[in-house]
Amino acid sequence: MSKRLLDPTSERQAGTARERAKRRGALGGKHVALLDISKPRGSVFLDRVEELLRARGADVSRFSKPTFTKPAPVDLRHEITSTCDVVIEALAD
Amino acid sequence: MHDTVNVEAAGVPMVFVASAEFVDAADAQARALGADPARVFVPHPIQDRTDDELRALADAAIDAIVSAITSQSDN
Amino acid sequence: MVPDGLVAVVKRGCPTCELVAPVLAQLHDQLTIYSQDDPTFPDGIGAHDDTALDVSFALDIDTVPTLLRVQDGHVVDRVVGWERAGWEKFTGVDDLGAGLPDWRPGCGSRTHDPDVVDARLVASIMPHLHARLVELGDAEDESEAMYARGWSDGLPLVPPTPARVARMCAGTSRDPSEVVAVVPPDLVECTVEKVAINAVMAGCLPDYLPVVLTALEAACTDAFNMHGLLATTWLSGPLVVVNGPVTRTIGMNSGVNALGQGNRANATIGRALQLVIRNVGGGRPGEVDRATFGNPGKYTFCFAEDEAGSPWESLAVERGLPEGASAVTLFAAEGVRGVVDQLSREPESLARSYAACLRTVAHPKNIFVWDAMLIVSPEHGRVFRDAGWTKSRLRQELDALLQLPADEIVRGAGGIAEGMPEALCQPGTTLPKFRPGGLLITHAGGSAGLFSAIIGGWASGAVGSEPVTREVRT
Repeated sequence: MSKRLLDPTSERQAGTARERAKRRGALGGKHVALLDISKPRGSVFLDRVEELLRARGADVSRFSKPTFTKPAPVDLRHEITSTCDVVIEALAD
Repeated sequence: MHDTVNVEAAGVPMVFVASAEFVDAADAQARALGADPARVFVPHPIQDRTDDELRALADAAIDAIVSAITSQSDN
Repeated sequence: MVPDGLVAVVKRGCPTCELVAPVLAQLHDQLTIYSQDDPTFPDGIGAHDDTALDVSFALDIDTVPTLLRVQDGHVVDRVVGWERAGWEKFTGVDDLGAGLPDWRPGCGSRTHDPDVVDARLVASIMPHLHARLVELGDAEDESEAMYARGWSDGLPLVPPTPARVARMCAGTSRDPSEVVAVVPPDLVECTVEKVAINAVMAGCLPDYLPVVLTALEAACTDAFNMHGLLATTWLSGPLVVVNGPVTRTIGMNSGVNALGQGNRANATIGRALQLVIRNVGGGRPGEVDRATFGNPGKYTFCFAEDEAGSPWESLAVERGLPEGASAVTLFAAEGVRGVVDQLSREPESLARSYAACLRTVAHPKNIFVWDAMLIVSPEHGRVFRDAGWTKSRLRQELDALLQLPADEIVRGAGGIAEGMPEALCQPGTTLPKFRPGGLLITHAGGSAGLFSAIIGGWASGAVGSEPVTREVRT
């Protein structure tokens, strides 16, 4: 259950947004995690993305969530973040 | 979007890909989470497309996807 | 909600209620029973389920068992605890509870359980909270999340959960949506709720909230000019001096280390004010705040004046508030400088020590524009008390001593380019160091130490800041 806090700001700026994780440039040699949210047909899309990424010099590992209705389990997330450099999650519809 | 927020919190760049139906929901989620995760949208629908059509969606989206995880940008 | 006639409120976890279960059975036909913890009690009869305690709160139940008579929807009479004679008279039924003792006191009603009271408080206030809810990621550390969003002054924050904010809002009778002040620099209408959120983060207790609210009101007046104070390159930040009974009820420190760390109220009230300026007003260092140095007091600066030990009237009373009122005074404060004087036995000598040091506020050759606060310690206060000097007598003395020769303060004098313009400095005349009302005198500190303290202020006048005193209302 995620925690919720009340916003202490004026709420005028969109910008209490967290910064994104630092991107470290080109794909070549990177280990990409492809995370399938497990909706039907998504794997076809991801198969093609995997081909395209390999053609661009990346290593690819495939992962799937048990269900698209909940956030990924902690163990899965930990496995992904400790073994891969970048993550692509697809395909929500 | 929670997945993206959590993975990014661990320092790993992430992008999520969704159909265009998700644009508004994603914006609202982003605001609620106080984050602005990288996201790429592909044209709706998904479910009734052929395999070739899905592959074509991937071809069309791949540049945006790669850019989202390799380039530092505000978008 | 409750039918007319006889009503009983009980709970299983009460020995007296268990004792009178047979009596309740005897009266069953004419009695509506509510159970606070278990609707299967009394055994064999059962009761209406009041585990949510709505009926108990509505009927103002303090003790169980309570027997009530309801007429036309209103409680017209009640009996508390078990007492045979009283119950027989109340119900008109004889021979109640054969074999039971004649009387037995009841137990506390669940409506008084601290957990219940708290949950109810939170539930009643939460619908009135309208701030955006920020959802944290499952793996997100709460503390890091708040830092990442820029909410912090550099020190850790207490996460402002809805329950904490609801409890904080209960510290005032003002509505959470009431606008307290328009906060610079973004000129945002700040509600009680937004102050409460920042007060939670600062570490305040709900009892401190009225003081924080009043400090914010005072800070955002034109006279105090919080915007200017924020934007200046000068070192000052807002200091909150608190007077009156509230200092005792919330346990503020006016004695040993009063200006330093260690007291929760002192520490968090000043901090809450600054967090509101930062988060609601949008006032942040490097943005609108361009202070060259700042000073540590910009994290928090708040203390209570020592009134009981003072030889004089309080700051608030001197500034026009009635005796016995609780008040805050906002002052645009630099850091604290000590004045050592361990040898003056006479007030004239001690006043000269003060004057010599006060002269150097901002710059020894600059006059009139710069304000200051003098904090007289208990040991120094005794010198004035023993000599029978009122505060006004001390002021008079200081005013005279701080008439500075124009020839000394004019630009260029003493080989120092800084100073007052020639046009102002008629040769042979003197000019006052402080403008009228520019020197505040307070009393605080531990009982040992032949020192006093000076806190330099900021510029006064049209582009500067005036100290502002305001009465605290709950």
